[in-house]
Amino acid sequence: MQNADFAVDVQGLSKVYDGKVRALDGVDLKIEAGNVFALLGPNGAGKTTLMRILTTQIKPSSGKASVFGCDVVRGESSVRRLVSYVPQEIGVWTDITGYENLLIYSKLYAIPSDKRRKTIDEVLGIVGLWDVANSIVKTYSGGMIRRLELASAMLTSPKIMFLDEPTIGLDPSARKAVWERLWSFRKERGTTIFYNTHYMDEADQYSDMIGIINRGRVVTVGTAESLKDSIGKDMIVFSLQNHSAADIPMERITALDSVYGASVEGSELSVLVRDTESSLPSTVKVLFEAGVAIEKISVAKPTLDQVFASYAGPQAEKRDGVRQVRAVRRLIRRG
Amino acid sequence: MRNMAVMIELEVRRLRHDWAELYGRAIQPLLWLGVFGPIMSTIRAIPTGGVPYIDFITPGVLLQSVTFVSIHYGINIVWERESGILKKLLVIPGPRYSIVIGRAMASGLRAIFQSLIILPVALLIGVRFVPNPLYFVLAIVVIFLISGGFASFSILIASFMKTRERFMGIGQSLSFPLLFTSNALYPLSIMPPPLQFIARLNPMSYVVNAVRGLTITGDISNLAVDLLAVGIFDVAMFVAASISFKRVIE
Ligand SMILES: Nc1ncnc2c1ncn2[C@@H]1O[C@H](COP(=O)(O)OP(=O)(O)O)[C@@H](O)[C@H]1O
Ligand SMILES: [Mg+2]
Repeated sequence: MQNADFAVDVQGLSKVYDGKVRALDGVDLKIEAGNVFALLGPNGAGKTTLMRILTTQIKPSSGKASVFGCDVVRGESSVRRLVSYVPQEIGVWTDITGYENLLIYSKLYAIPSDKRRKTIDEVLGIVGLWDVANSIVKTYSGGMIRRLELASAMLTSPKIMFLDEPTIGLDPSARKAVWERLWSFRKERGTTIFYNTHYMDEADQYSDMIGIINRGRVVTVGTAESLKDSIGKDMIVFSLQNHSAADIPMERITALDSVYGASVEGSELSVLVRDTESSLPSTVKVLFEAGVAIEKISVAKPTLDQVFASYAGPQAEKRDGVRQVRAVRRLIRRG
Repeated sequence: MRNMAVMIELEVRRLRHDWAELYGRAIQPLLWLGVFGPIMSTIRAIPTGGVPYIDFITPGVLLQSVTFVSIHYGINIVWERESGILKKLLVIPGPRYSIVIGRAMASGLRAIFQSLIILPVALLIGVRFVPNPLYFVLAIVVIFLISGGFASFSILIASFMKTRERFMGIGQSLSFPLLFTSNALYPLSIMPPPLQFIARLNPMSYVVNAVRGLTITGDISNLAVDLLAVGIFDVAMFVAASISFKRVIE
């Protein structure tokens, strides 16, 4: 039982699909037991692939991974007894009731028959699906289906839950509902949670640790705060009077010693700096020399979006998210 | 073993919520018996060994509909891959083949219900069955087994298909050739030799023979061979489907 103190321990993990697609390219990752860990990355970054390897569905091409000390290849049956998993797509049968779904899963997980009813009622209570338990799942909303999936993942009281994009396609209030249930469950049981997401605010708000994954590599891991600090302690926001982006000498600004990065949005120029005191004068000087008129200056903390852009590149737009949402909705309708 | 039982229970629960599908699927075979059969029997062109033509084709028609449903099962698996269900089933404790075989047996269960709808109607149409409960039960067991075999066969094919649409085309076009290249609608003896050869390789011929013997003619002199053929087919398909299942996963 080496490394048993880590809930997840991944070393040099790679996965190549069909000898062509390199979905994971040397992932190193350690997650402590009891943490809520958010793996944040754009579509196609390899999040699902990593999660499927950790839950023993597919085999890695090279490298090692273990869950609570059990190797995901050699000890796959031990791993399966520790984990539960909610796929990115729908993982419940939509042509039977919510209760029946939980009953089937509780039997597949060999929950003793005298405890089944109690366990199911308990998780139905946690996710707040009591009153619709006997309706066919097809009649549920997207948020209710997600909560039913969480319930099925809670049935076995797993040591670690793997959730692949648990709130994809949900509106903000349904997302909030999902997280409130999940958060109270983990507070009560101390379950480790590993989830994938491409929503920055979700990772920011609901996590102990965040890992950023891009093109098959986990590029950085830390708390939301430490990640924000790592790209610069402060963010200076200049409100500009003439807002033609072409006028702004971006290259000269980013070339400054104490500047980590800069971006323009509308009439606002945001500059990430080590500290405002030493960076402000030089930045203002550059803008002044370029003839850019400043209307207002304010100082803020950087957001996770900027952290993400600085590690994963600015291409990580929400566009893919929308496409996935549609795909999931389609699945729900088709039933 | 437990996983297989749960898969069957799941199927019962799904059927309970959707009886309509079961009845819907029984319509086509009943058309065969109610329309095609009587017309063909007025011609009296096919030697059936003294059995009325409708009676002669009843086992084949029944098995065609069972095969159709079983092959359709592969579509289910491809669909479950597109949804997350299959991924989730992969994470439950227990061997993978229990999922494959469990699903195949669930298909067998559907086949039994299907038969229990078609057979009474056939009786009403005037088909005369062998009045032997033991034979009847045995026939149902054979139907259950072959349905499992064809469902595995369809999982095997599904494992080569990336999308459900593509599978639909292939899956649906399989059940009729199986029917026509068997002894379901005409005895082997009147087939041209090449077709006879194919019919002998077609597992459908053996099941039809077994079910016909058990339910219509009462002649079970070939039953052992038929059961052996069905058994070999099933085991081969269970193994092949379990192995190819890997491809479905990735
Ligand atoms: N089953 C598969 N076969 C081939 N390529 C795949 C498969 N699953 C994922 N990929 C590819 O691997 C890369 C990573 O995908 P994935 O792990 O699903 O990313 P994410 O979950 O972050 O969106 C993508 O380029 C994707 O197209
Ligand atoms: Mg994914």
